[in-house]
Amino acid sequence: MYGVGGGGGGFNASSTASGRRRNQEEDEEDDEEETGDGRVLEAWERAYADDRSWEALQEDESGLLRPIDTKNLVHSQYRRRLLLRSAAAAVRIQKGLIRYLYIVIDLSRAASEMDYRPSRMAVVAKCAEAFIREFFDQNPLSHVGLVTIKDGISHRLTDIGGSPESQIKALMGKLECSGDSSLQNALELIHGYLNQIPSYGHKEVLILYSALNTCDPGDVMETVEKCKKSKIRCSVIGLAAEIFICKHLCEETGGSYTVALDESHFKELLLEHAPPPPAIAEYAAANLIKMGFPQRGAEDLISICSCHKKIKSGAEGYICPRCKVNVCELPTECRTCGLTLVSSPHLARSYHHLFPVAPFDEVTFKLGQKGGQNCYGCQQSLINSDSQSNLHVRCPKCNQHFCFDCDIYIHESLHNCPGCESQRSFSS
Amino acid sequence: MWFDLDGLPVCFPYDAIYPEQHEYMGELKRALDARGHALLEMPTGTGKTAALISLITSYALANPSRPLRLFYCTRTVHEMEKTLAELRLLFSHLPPADACRLLALGLSSRKNLCVHPQVSASGAVDTGCRRLTASWVCEKAAYDRESATPLCDYFETFDAAARKGDLALYIQPGVYTLADLRSLGRERRICPYFLARHMVKHANVVVYSYQYLLDPRVASIVSSEMQKDCVVVFDEVHNIDNVCIEALSVSIRKQTIQGAKGNLRHISQQIDRFKATDASRLNAEYRRLVDGLAQRGNLPISDAWLANLALPDDILKEAVPGNIRKAEHFLTVLWRLVRNLDERVDTENVVNERPVSFATSIYSLAGIETTTLRFLYDRLQSLLLTLEITDTDEFMHIQKICDFATLIGTYKRGFSIIIEPYDDRMPDIRDPVIQLSCHDASLAIQPVFNRFQTVVITSGTLSPIDLYPRLLNFNPVISRSFTMSLTRDCICPMVLTRGSDQLPVSTKFDMRSDPGVVRNYGRLLLEMASAVPDGIVCFFVSYSYMDGIVSSWNDMGILQEIMQHKLVFIETPDVVETTLALDNYRKACDCGRGAVFFSVARGKVVEGIDFNRHYGRLVIMFGVPFQYTLSKLEYLRETSQIQEGDFLTFDALRQAAQCVGRVIRSKADYGMMIFADKRYSRHDKRSKLPGWIRSHLHDAHLNLSTDMALHTAREFLRRMAQPYDKAGSSGQTEENLQDKARDAMEM
Repeated sequence: MYGVGGGGGGFNASSTASGRRRNQEEDEEDDEEETGDGRVLEAWERAYADDRSWEALQEDESGLLRPIDTKNLVHSQYRRRLLLRSAAAAVRIQKGLIRYLYIVIDLSRAASEMDYRPSRMAVVAKCAEAFIREFFDQNPLSHVGLVTIKDGISHRLTDIGGSPESQIKALMGKLECSGDSSLQNALELIHGYLNQIPSYGHKEVLILYSALNTCDPGDVMETVEKCKKSKIRCSVIGLAAEIFICKHLCEETGGSYTVALDESHFKELLLEHAPPPPAIAEYAAANLIKMGFPQRGAEDLISICSCHKKIKSGAEGYICPRCKVNVCELPTECRTCGLTLVSSPHLARSYHHLFPVAPFDEVTFKLGQKGGQNCYGCQQSLINSDSQSNLHVRCPKCNQHFCFDCDIYIHESLHNCPGCESQRSFSS
Repeated sequence: MWFDLDGLPVCFPYDAIYPEQHEYMGELKRALDARGHALLEMPTGTGKTAALISLITSYALANPSRPLRLFYCTRTVHEMEKTLAELRLLFSHLPPADACRLLALGLSSRKNLCVHPQVSASGAVDTGCRRLTASWVCEKAAYDRESATPLCDYFETFDAAARKGDLALYIQPGVYTLADLRSLGRERRICPYFLARHMVKHANVVVYSYQYLLDPRVASIVSSEMQKDCVVVFDEVHNIDNVCIEALSVSIRKQTIQGAKGNLRHISQQIDRFKATDASRLNAEYRRLVDGLAQRGNLPISDAWLANLALPDDILKEAVPGNIRKAEHFLTVLWRLVRNLDERVDTENVVNERPVSFATSIYSLAGIETTTLRFLYDRLQSLLLTLEITDTDEFMHIQKICDFATLIGTYKRGFSIIIEPYDDRMPDIRDPVIQLSCHDASLAIQPVFNRFQTVVITSGTLSPIDLYPRLLNFNPVISRSFTMSLTRDCICPMVLTRGSDQLPVSTKFDMRSDPGVVRNYGRLLLEMASAVPDGIVCFFVSYSYMDGIVSSWNDMGILQEIMQHKLVFIETPDVVETTLALDNYRKACDCGRGAVFFSVARGKVVEGIDFNRHYGRLVIMFGVPFQYTLSKLEYLRETSQIQEGDFLTFDALRQAAQCVGRVIRSKADYGMMIFADKRYSRHDKRSKLPGWIRSHLHDAHLNLSTDMALHTAREFLRRMAQPYDKAGSSGQTEENLQDKARDAMEM
């Protein structure tokens, strides 16, 4: 059946049928023997492993194929995420805002597999980059470090720190993979580092795991117990399939375990780890943290920065209020006196996790309805020309209407509802 | 919840019921109404047990004229405990007035129930128990109290209570698992084994191993008290015909014969001793035998050894032939028989004979008549009792020989005797064996069907369901196969016909040693090992094939590559080794190293060991596990009109389905199954798979090559790793059912 497909590119059902007729006398054995003629892959076989262009198509009611309406799709995905998040936030949960997160990137043999394009490793690196940026955007007071697993050994790529750029640079320089993967080694290493951090910080590990097994020097269960005891929250995102030990690890330590379906799903899962997780009950007791709010240096001040040991003009850096040393970036920890240095907008930005904007209700626009014809945010008309998607959202508090774009902008970036804010200013 | 099933109020101990359970109950009710047998196939993990017991209990409660008498036969002790747990849950949902009248208990061997501190700790519980509880031991202790004969206190309490007839005070209505019985025994200081055995007569539900009903040697002790209106359920008995056949098959090796000779010497010494000290006992026995076997009932019940085989009634009424009534005469007959077998076993070529000709040759060579042969087993039991022998294990050999003789003497058809000088696996070492193999599964189970009005046979794999009635020779009023309703497609069967080089793969005789096929199978496993997490189980058609292919993989370097991904464990015929391998396999799956288990389709592992959850994410069935047994096939063709090909395919596919079915034990679980042989893609093979596998076998997965299968596997595993709604929509609650019933009424 397969051997007769050689008749050219115009392969279709009729050519198989004719082929079958030709082979009718020959018995089944011979029929199957023909399959072994070692050709290069035919188009229909190749498609199995190739990019799936058809997935971007969708069938509408009349049976026509249309490209998927990306705007609506993106919005519905976003809304799902938002609702999920706000459901958790409905009961006011204390959040861990000061996070110490180690990202573990598995660079074992399995990371070179090509089922993600161009390879798992490249996809992981790309998404990790986006994640680190997003993470610092959402958690300005937090710290990230990178660890890789390769040849059965885990290796710390970067120290735990507050600057996204240096982390990303270190990651991109180190992308090659080989050997086995070892969960235990990675956890032991991180356990060693995270044990030193102050008690108010939330210790977290996020493992991006390509491999399907782990070659450990000892009993990994003991290490899991150790992590549990030290309150390290371990989360795993798998790239291939569900592995029992990862699931066990996440269940034990209170993390989440997910497996990605494809690249976009992977990114989505990864970004779910950006907002701060609920605080662990033991830390619920309030405790005070000493912080410094450094000033930007004066224009004419030339000093040596403590992080890069380079001469910089004062305007590029900040001066630690306690020891007057120059640092390049915020937030960070002062190299000299160990004070946590932040800027006030950082603190303010972290604040929104505690008081999120309520999710907006989805409403359909009724014709003849008075007012609310335009989006309160951008003043664009809400009535769409193609009349197909006159769906929009409304703030449950101030009853102002918004378009989808503004909805996303308000919840993701602004964290304030313009309607509610303006009402407040009127009343005051 | 309570719901109404065709006018019968049914109590179901869960809030929701699967649609297939509802249908299952409906069919079962019809069978009970018709007072006939039923054959029902429903996949594992759909709550068969719960459906069964709740329907039968509710049925009995609704029909006071037919009180609840249920005998539930399971395969393992573990399944027994699970069934009892379900029963407990059910009873807690029944109205208190009904629940407080019902008694359910599990029955197992002395080994599982003994609470005597010394005996239960020792290895041979049976022997230890008999030494303390046999009637002559008790009599002796009662006769002279000074000699301080050791007795079992627990048994004494039981005995005293039994004599007074107030045993019912010891056991309140309720559900008793084995552990409950043991703790009850410790608390009240009464023997749980004898108590349970006694209470079987009064219990409403008895859960025990199906050996107790099928093995005629055990059945007559334990199960003789059952009435006609009992409901008998056989659960997980896809290979019930094999169990029946095994119950009536005997194999005698050289060691058995040597052991039997030793036993005979021992017995003759005992006889001499008794003659000198207590000749009256032997005389009493002689008189009893003159009166005939049927009056054996005057022996105390606790002494019942393994009783008679499935003997037709007329034999029981016959008197024991004169030439074996006297102990010495009987002994000489046994000597002649053992010597004759010893000569027969020393043959150079394979011999295949029918029982009739074998019996004739015994008559001509050893001078033992067929009628005499028939009584040897009973006569031996009687003699051993008379001689007050407690150590049954020691006399196993001579019992086996008598067993053999009795079967030959009793049955003229359905058996064959095969004498083989060499074992298949080690053709150089001489290991002669006489096998009496039974071909007719219906012989052992027939008494069960005749005695009880409703026998329910149920399992996850009974396809094709129309073959069982013919094999077991009965007429079910209901035979049906149910499929599983799932919230997601959690099983993924695939038929792999080609390697990645597009060459067909098969274990057909002319292809199995082809290096291309061996390599393709190896590549398949290797690719899968790199794509599937945790555990993979591989089944091969036979030990010899497995040995061959694993050593070729080793030579090709494939095994070493597999070891990079997963550790490899192999099943061997040795039970201890296999248990160790299984333990380590589980450990490797737990700690994330990943493991592959090589097993044999007809080995021990496939029966009773589950590879659920991460212990088996994938099973690969290499080849079709055909088993050629020429004489049995001939017999089946002659008596049951079953074509050889049909039976072979049925047997092979049933075994294959059993193998792959190991991976999925509940609806929340998921697993893949690969049938790696081009023959599976043919319709005649595929159509014999159970419905629940067939319904998930998509057309696109019928003719895969290795790379396509790999791609499918990856997709499947990713899909299954996604969180899903466990509650699901497949269950129906009480309201749904009521709505449905109303809809049906309106229509």
